[in-house]
Amino acid sequence: MINLLKHLPVRLRLALSLYVLFMASPIHAEPNAGLGKSVYKKANCVGCHKWHGGGGGSYGGLALSLRDTPLSREALILVIRCGRPATDMPYHYRKAYKGSNRECYGSNSASLGDATPPRARYFLSDRDIGAVVDYIQTDIQGRGTPGYDDCVAFWGADARRCKLMAQAQLNGEKK
Amino acid sequence: MVLKLIRWLLLTAVFCVAGSVCAGETISETTGERLLGAANEPNNWLHHHGTYDAHHFSSLAEINRDNIGDLKVAWTFALGGTDGGGIHPTAGLEATPLVEDGFMYAIDGWGVVTKLDVGEGRGKFVWRMDPGTDKDWAGEVACCGVNNRGVALWGKLVLSHTLDGRLIATAKDTGEIAWERQIGAPESGETITVAPLIVKDMVITGVSGGEFGIRGWLEATDLNSGKRRWRRHTIPSPDEPGGDTWADDHEAYKTGGGATWITGSYDSELDLIYWGVGNPGPDWDRHYRPGDNLFSNSTIAVDPDTGEIKFHFQYTPNDPFDYDGVNEHVLVDTEYKDKSHKMMLHADRNGYLYAINRADGSFIYATPYVKRITWTKGIDPDSGRPLDYDPEAKIQNYAGVASSRDKLKSDLICPGLMGGKNWMPMAYNPNRQILYIPVNESCNATSTSPVDDDGKSIPREWFTAGGMHNPERFSGSLVAIDVKAGKMTKRIDTEYPVLSGVLATAGDLVFTATPDGDVVAYDAENLEELWRFPTGSGLNAPVITYAVDGKQYIALSVGLGGTMPKWWIEAVPGLENVNPSAMIFAFSL
Repeated sequence: MINLLKHLPVRLRLALSLYVLFMASPIHAEPNAGLGKSVYKKANCVGCHKWHGGGGGSYGGLALSLRDTPLSREALILVIRCGRPATDMPYHYRKAYKGSNRECYGSNSASLGDATPPRARYFLSDRDIGAVVDYIQTDIQGRGTPGYDDCVAFWGADARRCKLMAQAQLNGEKK
Repeated sequence: MVLKLIRWLLLTAVFCVAGSVCAGETISETTGERLLGAANEPNNWLHHHGTYDAHHFSSLAEINRDNIGDLKVAWTFALGGTDGGGIHPTAGLEATPLVEDGFMYAIDGWGVVTKLDVGEGRGKFVWRMDPGTDKDWAGEVACCGVNNRGVALWGKLVLSHTLDGRLIATAKDTGEIAWERQIGAPESGETITVAPLIVKDMVITGVSGGEFGIRGWLEATDLNSGKRRWRRHTIPSPDEPGGDTWADDHEAYKTGGGATWITGSYDSELDLIYWGVGNPGPDWDRHYRPGDNLFSNSTIAVDPDTGEIKFHFQYTPNDPFDYDGVNEHVLVDTEYKDKSHKMMLHADRNGYLYAINRADGSFIYATPYVKRITWTKGIDPDSGRPLDYDPEAKIQNYAGVASSRDKLKSDLICPGLMGGKNWMPMAYNPNRQILYIPVNESCNATSTSPVDDDGKSIPREWFTAGGMHNPERFSGSLVAIDVKAGKMTKRIDTEYPVLSGVLATAGDLVFTATPDGDVVAYDAENLEELWRFPTGSGLNAPVITYAVDGKQYIALSVGLGGTMPKWWIEAVPGLENVNPSAMIFAFSL
């Protein structure tokens, strides 16, 4: 949470902390791994955070490692919904920052100016956001270096990438 | 009765054997002579670039400035093939269709070739060749979309590539695959999107993957045997010419980039192939790769028989900006300052149009074609180098805006990494000696995330050492350059970057298209807009023209793909409302 806030002025940080405290997460769908993974692909999370969630550089920017991040469920939901100001993490809530709407960090695009996050290509419903966060927390977060099982879970056992990975592991190489 | 039948059968058999009557179609042969003289067959479009000199010009003039207002849709055809794979939710459509003697060869992003009979005023399906591209395997390491820029024709074959790295030869008559070879290695992050180039009895293949730590190459395949003739690496090893421009001690050349993803040009008299080479990798950590990094961001002149690089011209050494030097070469013989020149014209990503002597690689002139340039003070009129290039230095800073290990966040960089012009081809009207450039007016900013000195590129992972973002909205323009004067004469503004290739015709028209779906015709003299048609989908493919029985058609692939709508939608707002499609549209009077 501290990293998330460090770009923002003090008043904004206070507003954000209050926001998190008082907004009990209403986004709590039943875990649905199928929906979550499909959102991860369709909403282009895979483009920046990669299939294994490890992030890194790409044309999309320097994306966070979802495998390493300590962000809580509430924080993940917030970041997906509202993006991260002054970074390339886009917002996925269709009303975020629009006009007088200040649901995100107590701000709109007028108050954030250049720090307003970019908009995502596809907006996501609360259900989609809940599902993808469930997926991240079950399949990605805290799971160390991606291995064969992760590959199969994402691409399928027939995927050439996974077959090569299995071969490499048999040969004793680390991939 | 029976005798009559037998006689008919015998006659048909004779004609069948002669090959002219049986299938109801005579299979044209694309000979070397036809390819060299393609400009003399304006009813056809036999090359990706129209002709070997890449003029994208047609002498057809039935459609001209007087009757352009009457241009209307003649026919359309849905190719299919918009499904996604890897990191791309949908496929794109950047291909230039080819037309030969009343038949069109189109290709979609996954490399499915469709042959259409266009001989009777409409597109009629003949066959489809589906190469069965491994979509996730290739799509995961395709930085910039599921793209395939077109096919080539030779003899009785159609040559095409697939994103998963294959070259395929398909029989024109049946659509059956005659042979194929695996050339690119997706296991190393290589994909292929380029349209092949036929030179003599070889087909030339280029590679994509400059953002994935590849070591770029050009490869020639023998068209008779289907086997490799030569491979030329665009990033030399230490003992090869140019190898000393990689001044590190950790073999950075092995992941040095240098992709070759735009089709080259060919001068048959000089017997040289001209091909553009892409950015060095990692994109934004040039301290990992000190030195000029040849032959990245260069035009190389290649001997077709051996693949040897005879000479080169480098545009942006030790590149901090991802200014791929891949853009195409328009070959023009003309005068400049009272001297005759064999020029190659190259609108580089760095915002300058260069005229280079194509006989020896010497510099003729450079002129800016974009509105804003912040990366350099200018180009030296004698050497053609950036004025702020330091020949003694291994790390180039130019005007100081780039990010690096010493400055993790850049200033505003103009042109942005998409370049003043990207892959979409320009067109040259030889009657007017005017070059028309489709321009992207954009800036961006980058951040550097340094590679450890003992860090290496991991196969199939991005190797850019950083990221970029777009603080400003992009726009576009269409620019006219007087080639003899070496100066811009006219610029018109467009709402979006121009992502379609340009066509110039003897009807004194200039055609291009907008990414939000309009095909547009301009007056070749003053760039006044004369005609516009909304296709309802996005357009980022070059426009061509062909004729059947004396009737002229304007045609293009309709469907958006590419980098902008995927990565940078905030810089091109509105394009999120453009939906994918894969169609061919043809217009006539």
